[in-house]
Amino acid sequence: MKHRASRLILLLVLGACSGDRAPLIATDVAVSKPKPGMRVAAGYITLSNNTTETITITRVTSPEFKSVEMHESILEDGISRMYPLDEVTIPAGQNVAFEPGGKHLMLMNPTSDADSATLEFYADNVLLLSVNATFAD
Amino acid sequence: MGPRNTFIAIVAVGAIGTGAWLSSMVMQPAPRLQTATVLPAPSELPEFSLVDQNRLSIGRDYFEGHWNLVFFGFTHCPDICPLTLQVLANAKRQLAADGQQPLPRIVLVSVDPERDTPEVMSQYVRYFGDDNIGITGTLDEIRKLTGGLGIFFEKSGLDEVDYSVDHSAVVIVINPRGQFHALFGAPHEAGNFVHDLPIIMGGR
Repeated sequence: MKHRASRLILLLVLGACSGDRAPLIATDVAVSKPKPGMRVAAGYITLSNNTTETITITRVTSPEFKSVEMHESILEDGISRMYPLDEVTIPAGQNVAFEPGGKHLMLMNPTSDADSATLEFYADNVLLLSVNATFAD
Repeated sequence: MGPRNTFIAIVAVGAIGTGAWLSSMVMQPAPRLQTATVLPAPSELPEFSLVDQNRLSIGRDYFEGHWNLVFFGFTHCPDICPLTLQVLANAKRQLAADGQQPLPRIVLVSVDPERDTPEVMSQYVRYFGDDNIGITGTLDEIRKLTGGLGIFFEKSGLDEVDYSVDHSAVVIVINPRGQFHALFGAPHEAGNFVHDLPIIMGGR
């Protein structure tokens, strides 16, 4: 894990030195507004790995929520099941979509009445991406 | 061509035209269901005693007098449940815009009565439409209803507070006689309901 993190840090440093690109690119960012009386919301995003190394997202945080988990909804034989994901791997140059009915972020216990949330993606303890999303229905 | 022959020709053309029109009416295939399955014979609901979002005690006759789209889920579900309720709300809105009468009621039956009190259900279901209904109650009584409809649900995850519930994702259609009439399998799309519900509710 340390090896993986150090390679990523190296990439980030190299990227910064060369004025190069961000390691992760976010598109299709959406956070559902917590429903009335509810303490949960769903976050959706497409992450593109903009490096030549595999990136493994191990943690997601948001200042507007007490906790954030990566989950996956799966339909098996007509049964909707939800599994927590410890990590999500994005191969070099490829995308991973967090989208309705599939992988998604479960944002729990809002800490404010904000109308938007910042999503922070980490590989181990390295912050790779911070992106803001206005709540949508 | 004499007047008599002209008359015969007109009658013949008229007869052929009428025949073609009649056969097109008779031969017109009945509208086909896109995704829904209608039960060969509607089945009676089991007896149960639950409460709606207004704390009104309800039994199986609660469904009578309306077409009902019934989904089994829970309010702490961040993804599939709100998505499904939104699909049903969108379908109902489209059916209303198409002039469909009657319109179905959208009903959420909780599979998580520990957290889904009538108050929680009320706030939640109304978010997706003022007329929506939320049903909850004791676990035993919910199991009576789900058991009779072949609906599966099971608590998952070890966290006592932030647990999840696995559940059947099917949408059940209950007819105005209060009988289990048809079902829509997941994944759900509004277009499937918009296409199939008028056929089901029209009895075609």
